[in-house]
Amino acid sequence: MTIQVKQSPETFVRFSPLQRLLHVAVMIGFTGLAVTGFSLKFSDQWWGSGFAWLVGGAAHLAYLHRFFAVITYGCVVVHIIWLFYFKLVLKGSITGAQSLFPKIQDIKDMFQHMGYFFGKRRIPRFNRFTYWEKFDYLALFLGMNTMGLTGLFLWFPEFFATLLPGYFINLAQVLHLYEAILAVALKFVVHLISTHLRPETFPVDKSIFNGKTTRERMMDEHPGELDSL
Amino acid sequence: MKALMVKSKKWSPEQKSCRLRQSNECYGGQVGRRLLFHLMLFAALLGPRCLEAAITPDGQPGWFVDMGRFAASAHGTFSCEQCHGDMKQGQTMHPDSENPAFLKVDANREYDYHRCQSCHKPSYEQYLKGVHAKTLLKEQTDPAAGSNKLPAEVGLYKTKKAPTCGNCHSGHYTKAHLPRVEIGREMVSVCGACHPAQAATYLDGYHGKAAVNLGDKNAAFCTDCHGAHHSVSLKDKKTALAACQRCHPEATEGFAQVVIHPTIQDLPENDKQKRAHVALIRIVTVLMSILVILVVGFFYGHSFVWLLRELHEKLRKHK
Repeated sequence: MTIQVKQSPETFVRFSPLQRLLHVAVMIGFTGLAVTGFSLKFSDQWWGSGFAWLVGGAAHLAYLHRFFAVITYGCVVVHIIWLFYFKLVLKGSITGAQSLFPKIQDIKDMFQHMGYFFGKRRIPRFNRFTYWEKFDYLALFLGMNTMGLTGLFLWFPEFFATLLPGYFINLAQVLHLYEAILAVALKFVVHLISTHLRPETFPVDKSIFNGKTTRERMMDEHPGELDSL
Repeated sequence: MKALMVKSKKWSPEQKSCRLRQSNECYGGQVGRRLLFHLMLFAALLGPRCLEAAITPDGQPGWFVDMGRFAASAHGTFSCEQCHGDMKQGQTMHPDSENPAFLKVDANREYDYHRCQSCHKPSYEQYLKGVHAKTLLKEQTDPAAGSNKLPAEVGLYKTKKAPTCGNCHSGHYTKAHLPRVEIGREMVSVCGACHPAQAATYLDGYHGKAAVNLGDKNAAFCTDCHGAHHSVSLKDKKTALAACQRCHPEATEGFAQVVIHPTIQDLPENDKQKRAHVALIRIVTVLMSILVILVVGFFYGHSFVWLLRELHEKLRKHK
């Protein structure tokens, strides 16, 4: 994706204002979805029914869940429009080495990086996006689309049952639940640890919020990208 | 308190029936009642679960009618004779101490429920048209249909006996004019005593979570779909669709095929279609669980080892 010209010798722009805005919006939307959704799923637990009581009952819980769903999927739509704009108008590359597009190299990077965990190998020379960042992005991007689809099934079951057999609503329910568990288990633990909580970045990697990163960090974390500039 | 009673797995309406030997025992003494009141007060302070334990220390409802609870029930203003007028069981006095089965008869099979209809005529007539009454008829014409064991001995479901009024409604303790949600919550455990798989799948679905767990009075309880007293199975597609349309006016035939109780418990062998749907739902559930465990397991391990490595490096740098 875009590598913007450095603003000062020591500062690089890593994320555009739109990307930062979308990250914050998805963060809010995703958390809202998780809390409202799991409050229903675990409504037999005190915290589930407690949260539902706090927002005013099952109907309000459903409303809030759909409200956050619209915010989150709205971000996906904006992002897709931006991808088209980036590709067609800005003539950028969405599949190149500096993009989020998954490559064979990412698998190799992952094994090399895991070798580093055990002190056997050096940290790979990552490009603009590392394999775990790509996984985070793609898991969310694909997940939001499938969650959106199964969510629509559950939002408008009457309509979808006219198109498909009734048991598809049940399947949508199962997929929606397990994908939600997967997404929450990954985002709230793996994403937080790998981008924010590990000693190198603790307590928070600010670059997703202010868009900036330093030359020192670029050399450490994205030497491949630095070389390409 | 009734709701609490029903929550107990050991509860069965049969056990609550009055097995009075002498009427003064049934009422209990003044001292007994005062003691009971204090016990209940104590238990209420300790928490709802203990309340039941205080009434019945062994967790089993007692043999005698608890007059305190009876007085608070819908029938609380009745005298015993209004429902148990002749005190006769067939030709013999009830209970007949000469009978070898003395105190072992199932009160819900012996009580003459025609008496209920003098006040509850519509409900009684609906019951007679419903599936439970048909099963009762089958049981009466074919004695082999039901087990003669008491529900307390083998569990309510395994008796395979059709429920009478008293199996679902406690004549002594049911309260009148409860809010819809409270009636519904009680209903789920009453119906669930004989239909456990259906109750479990209902509670796992949206209806059950919204209605029972979150107390949403707009969500469906058992009888909202299956009918009060009719108790229809909804295997017939048209009946099922009509039931859906009570709350989902736009429902079509396909919508009525949404599996509300994904279980094969009590499904007839020849219902191949629903069996296939339930199997598919289970397969997808298992596959998704495996996917979640593998992906989450891998990335948790990955993150954990990575954290250890970076901590190791950081600590080594500071040496």
